[in-house]
Amino acid sequence: MSGGKGGACNGCANLLDFNKTAKIRKVIDDAREKGSTEIDLKEKNIHRFEEIPGIFNMEWITGLSLAHNNLKTVPASISNLYNLEYLNMYNNHLEELPSTISTLPKLKILILAMNRLSVLPRGFGGFAVLEVLDLSYNNLNEASLPNNFWSMTTLRALYLSDNDFETIPSEVGNLTDIQILSFRENDVVSIPREIGSFGRLRELHLQGNRLTLIPPELGQLDLVTQRCIIRLENNPWIQPIADQLEVGVSHVIDFIRTDQYRYIYEKQLQQGTTAPPKTNDKSKKISRRTS
Amino acid sequence: MESSPFHKQHQETAHPLYENLESALANLSIESEYDVAEYGVLGPPVPPRRNQIRASTPNGSLSSGSLRESGSSGGGGIPDIPVLATPVNDPSSSIVMSLSSMICHRCNEGFEPHEKIVKSHGETWHQQCFVCAQCFKPFPDGIFYEFEGRKYCEHDFHVLYAPSCGKCNEFIIGRVIKAMNKSWHPHCFCCEICNQCLSDSGFIKNANRALCHDCNAREKAAAIGKHICYKCHGIIDDKPLKWRNEPFHAYHFNCTTCSAELTSDARELKGDLYCLRCHDKMGIPICGACRRPIEERVVTALGKHFHVEHFVCAKCEKPFMGHKHFEKKGLAYCETHYHQLFGNLCYTCNKVIEGDVFTALEKAWCVNHFACSICNDKMNQKTKFYELDLKPVCKRCYEKLPSELRKRIQKLHKIPPKKQQMT
Ligand SMILES: [Zn+2]
Ligand SMILES: [Zn+2]
Ligand SMILES: [Zn+2]
Ligand SMILES: [Zn+2]
Ligand SMILES: [Zn+2]
Ligand SMILES: [Zn+2]
Ligand SMILES: [Zn+2]
Ligand SMILES: [Zn+2]
Repeated sequence: MSGGKGGACNGCANLLDFNKTAKIRKVIDDAREKGSTEIDLKEKNIHRFEEIPGIFNMEWITGLSLAHNNLKTVPASISNLYNLEYLNMYNNHLEELPSTISTLPKLKILILAMNRLSVLPRGFGGFAVLEVLDLSYNNLNEASLPNNFWSMTTLRALYLSDNDFETIPSEVGNLTDIQILSFRENDVVSIPREIGSFGRLRELHLQGNRLTLIPPELGQLDLVTQRCIIRLENNPWIQPIADQLEVGVSHVIDFIRTDQYRYIYEKQLQQGTTAPPKTNDKSKKISRRTS
Repeated sequence: MESSPFHKQHQETAHPLYENLESALANLSIESEYDVAEYGVLGPPVPPRRNQIRASTPNGSLSSGSLRESGSSGGGGIPDIPVLATPVNDPSSSIVMSLSSMICHRCNEGFEPHEKIVKSHGETWHQQCFVCAQCFKPFPDGIFYEFEGRKYCEHDFHVLYAPSCGKCNEFIIGRVIKAMNKSWHPHCFCCEICNQCLSDSGFIKNANRALCHDCNAREKAAAIGKHICYKCHGIIDDKPLKWRNEPFHAYHFNCTTCSAELTSDARELKGDLYCLRCHDKMGIPICGACRRPIEERVVTALGKHFHVEHFVCAKCEKPFMGHKHFEKKGLAYCETHYHQLFGNLCYTCNKVIEGDVFTALEKAWCVNHFACSICNDKMNQKTKFYELDLKPVCKRCYEKLPSELRKRIQKLHKIPPKKQQMT
């Protein structure tokens, strides 16, 4: 752009900028005045935490929503907000997180879905009371996880949909209280047997992976009294499983409880079939964009 | 006979110093449930077993006149000194009978005329022969101990024969208690629980411990899960009556009001005991759980009274202690277990939902928490929403999703996702 027109546009941009700053300031000032504990800054075109005046001094807040912004990083001083129970950064441009985030002692719900995370900081699994963790739609795989990731035994819901996992580590079995586990549309080739022992599991999302077999242990999951929902669509299942799935998930579960299936399963394991190819096209995912 | 008391003892028992407590076992018929019952039998104290020679040299009070004569230079009737050098059994030496008839008790040789002679209990020794049978040294201060005809210095006698105490490890001189395969000073043999001395009262062997009768009874009762009456120390076979935190046979007590002999269901009130009937007449609330009177804080719930600490969750049995409880079919539950068994927890706050419940996508929410899972905007019964991983997504957020994701969501649902309405 050039010439006078450009100048006019600059003026426009400045005005927009002024508007944005004023809106953020209003939210913050209102919150300070009323002593509100929840701050909603979604869709404010925020690029940096520095644009939120004095946010890290508002240590009384228990909830902070920054969904639909353009944040690339989170400063280490996020740990100042030690009363936070809810932190939502859905749909930002986060590429990394500070390791201090897991020191938030009261954080129960952490939403980091739809960002550009391909790695998590060391010690990320150190949350004291985290119950719901949503990391859907990032660029994570099993190698992105720090050692203590699976020691978050307080988790009741873990969303890892739309990532790049090829295996689910058997350490997932440590999450003994888990009620919701989602690996929808990853590249997962097998399910660990440990999932069969989750006594409180209510949702298991496995659609759109590269799964061919279900460990017979999943037959222990209780679809009736626990009302456990298992989603298995869009996987290259072996034919007998695919056939059962046509008529319903409960038929699949009944089938994998049979000795016949147990035999098929062990046989297939012995043969060591090669994993089906990746079919999910992830090139258009916005998490793949670079700045 | 001048033999030492020690010697005398020796003739009567296998080991003269010991009182063998084990020997009396067979006579006793106590506590046969345990390994063996051993019982201490104690005789009169043993007199000192120490011998002392009255003099350590032949010139002392021990020596006879003849010795003195033999040692004197004045020409008496002992001229033939060389004779003494010859073996005593040499017939030619018989000329000096008084001296030559004395031979050393140890080496069987005679004595030189001027030689010092030791005499003890009618026997004579060369001074160099009157030594400890073990270390061959003279007896310090002339004190020796005799055992099976041999004499020992105090040190070696202790080392060889005197027992050491199983408790303090010191040598035992005087009365020895032999029990539990060890020897003990009488004051060292004590009950392993209460430390009371057992030397005169006897003991019971219980799990390889020596115990007094009381402690054994208590241990035995504990082992079979019964109480010991605090009054008579007997085992309580039926239910004990607890009073001031101690168990008793109920029949030791009478009702404070009607004097009837009490049973185990008697009630304690301010330190006094009452029979059930008299107690009920006094109108004190009874705990619905433990059936005992409630004297402090009363919790009233489920149409009953409870001790604060006895009003508990029917599932986990933890007392509510003033915390919220949930009632269902005459039982009370903590929040967690009420939900686990009957209720719905809010997907967001994970608390039992009181009041209105929002149900959708196999989940439940409390009124305050039914909101878009992406932007957290509140929703109500009329709000249309989309579903992603069984979470509600408001229309505005759904439209913000990248088109590639929306396409996939549609494909997953096979048909374009119908706007869902809450049920
Ligand atoms: Zn002793
Ligand atoms: Zn005792
Ligand atoms: Zn008694
Ligand atoms: Zn009475
Ligand atoms: Zn009670
Ligand atoms: Zn409970
Ligand atoms: Zn709630
Ligand atoms: Zn929304």
